Amino acid sequence: MSGKIGKHIAIYGKGGIGKSTTTSNISAALAESGYRVIQIGCDPKSDSTTILRGGNDLPTVLDTLREQSKVRIEDISAIGFGGVLCIEAGGPVPGVGCAGRGINAAVEQLQDLKVFEEFKPDFVLYDVLGDVVCGGFAVPIRDGLADRAFVVTSSDFMAIFAANNLFKAVTKYAPSGGARLGGVIANSLQAPYAKSLIDDFADRTGSRVIGYVPRSLTVAQSELYGKTVIEAVPHSDQAQVYRDLATFIDRDEDAVIPRPLNGPELKKWAREWGDRIFEVEAGVVHEMGSI
Amino acid sequence: MSHHIEGSRNSCALHGALQVFEAIEGTVPVIHSTSGCGVQHYLGGTRLSGGNDPFGSPPVSSTNIREKHVVFGGGSRLREQLKNSVKVVQGDLYAIVTGCSIEMVGDDVPAMAKEGVDQDWPVIYTNTPGFRGDVHQGYQLALRALIEQLPGLRTESVAVQAGQVNILGVIPNQDPFWRGNLQEVARLLEAIGLFPNLLLGDGQDVNSWHQVPGAALNLVLSHWGEQSARLLEERYGTPSISLDGLPVGTAFAALLLQVTEKLGLDPERTNGVIAREEVRLRQQFARLADIYYRTGFQREFALVGESALVVGIGEFLGKNLGLLPRTLVITDNPPESVQKSLAARLGSIVPGFDTKILFSEDRSEIADVVRTGKAGIVLGSSLEEDVAQDLGVPFLAVSFPLFNRIILERGYAGYGGAAALLEDVGSVILADSLIHSV
Repeated sequence: MSGKIGKHIAIYGKGGIGKSTTTSNISAALAESGYRVIQIGCDPKSDSTTILRGGNDLPTVLDTLREQSKVRIEDISAIGFGGVLCIEAGGPVPGVGCAGRGINAAVEQLQDLKVFEEFKPDFVLYDVLGDVVCGGFAVPIRDGLADRAFVVTSSDFMAIFAANNLFKAVTKYAPSGGARLGGVIANSLQAPYAKSLIDDFADRTGSRVIGYVPRSLTVAQSELYGKTVIEAVPHSDQAQVYRDLATFIDRDEDAVIPRPLNGPELKKWAREWGDRIFEVEAGVVHEMGSI
Repeated sequence: MSHHIEGSRNSCALHGALQVFEAIEGTVPVIHSTSGCGVQHYLGGTRLSGGNDPFGSPPVSSTNIREKHVVFGGGSRLREQLKNSVKVVQGDLYAIVTGCSIEMVGDDVPAMAKEGVDQDWPVIYTNTPGFRGDVHQGYQLALRALIEQLPGLRTESVAVQAGQVNILGVIPNQDPFWRGNLQEVARLLEAIGLFPNLLLGDGQDVNSWHQVPGAALNLVLSHWGEQSARLLEERYGTPSISLDGLPVGTAFAALLLQVTEKLGLDPERTNGVIAREEVRLRQQFARLADIYYRTGFQREFALVGESALVVGIGEFLGKNLGLLPRTLVITDNPPESVQKSLAARLGSIVPGFDTKILFSEDRSEIADVVRTGKAGIVLGSSLEEDVAQDLGVPFLAVSFPLFNRIILERGYAGYGGAAALLEDVGSVILADSLIHSV
């Protein structure tokens, strides 16, 4: 898109993997260092920006669009921590309608409202439900809406599969002007093998891991207070992890077209890792047995 | 393997279903789709089928869904539209047909129909997105909905006369001569003592469909009625007779005899009817003889249309009238197994004569094969008129779409249809001979 205002970043990841937490903390860290940031939640659950704005209610773009013929920016946005402009695309109730088309309609509405021209952001972060279930959820990485896409994953195989699916979507759209892949954010790291598993996946798919976020009680606690770690515990190690991620995204603009694994490759890869993990787990059991 | 189709003459499943429901008196179709579906049905369908289009504009109830119905689901819009339709138009049956966008979203249309039924409204539904098939599948889906859902709307039994015959396989407007064809089939079945249940067209209403289960026989006049006949056989044990093509002229005698045998009718009465009709046809042939020889009637012909029409007219022209089938094009995409048997049948209309048979709905491919075949007369849809002009041969419009013929009563089925065909083919050949003699 020509004349794009700010850097547009899409962050994908399997549902429940912690991408809204990660995205919100990156937004908070960017805002903290003086940038103007917009975070757009592209998930029918519409809880992407909750921890940036103290857990208050925010009408979604689609709900407002449904109820009013004329929508104003102030009806569908809230200023959160550090001045981050928070927007939720919203969607239908589960089991009805088409959430994918909803994302499309919401993004078009934001463009019609000239949100970017008005707010003049340095960064726009799209937090997208990442299973790439249909074309609608690929909207932020199609048509060059976002420049770069990042994927949040844990070492859980289903999360890796979702990441691999996103790679497929990037590979499909990037040659015609869609977003490229900025890298993988390894989240919720706890198991001893987690880091090497995600590293290996990134390596095999021609991608890279841009940060490792350990599993942390601080995050859960902050969320219960409706805050990001950056806001709630700014001096914690965890806050620094998110700041490092934000700095990386700000400074390193490399992006690639990844090489997603095909079905059999992915299965074989997962099986090999499954065997290795089993050995590790068996080892743990053995040690405990000796206590 | 996908390929492009130029100037297709087969519109979508939604239109096929609409064409059925609009042909049943007292039925109010309700389109659950974007507004274009109803408009396209009018512009691309009814207006090009012999001038039987509704006055002014298409009076079809439609939910005309917008983006918000796609995003949030269109169920409540359908509920509202159904309620308003019931208020505004008094119908014996409200039939919901759905379009592509609604089916992509996955609206729970059966639940909406059930809501209507729970309020004692006679509502049925059929899921007819265009990606499910073309006008022929739409016809099948509509019939399936009628067969499966109508019995649930009526508890009291329906009186049916002995010897009732349901007529299936004729798609309104996709066959521009459907009314006349059905009337002629009815006339001849009545003559041998049966009670034809035409199901579609003038005087055919929802009650006609309630009578379907009690029939003694289902008479299937094209491949597209076979699925319904199978369904009726499974549900009610009704036997059926299936034809590949519309019986034109003498071919109808064979059908009458087959029906007579199947239903144990009086063969003498049937033979009497056949004899009477045959005499009339022979007299017509005799009256045409002078022109036949004077104008060089006997020539090669190209025929383009739906399978039932090509079989019916093709065999009549080839076997009864002495013309030679040069190029036969089937445009309704029958399944491969049916194509095989059709090809075998059409290839032997005139034994020893090389007939080119093509299955295609592509206007340009059809034009090419007709042009290459160089027939002495072209019968087809208005889309083939250009190629007839290129070849400098007479043209008769017999299949959908028809741009410049009014068809109110005319049909090409049966003995009456044979006479109509003699008149029409004869007229264009005669007119052409006059031009060339000047």
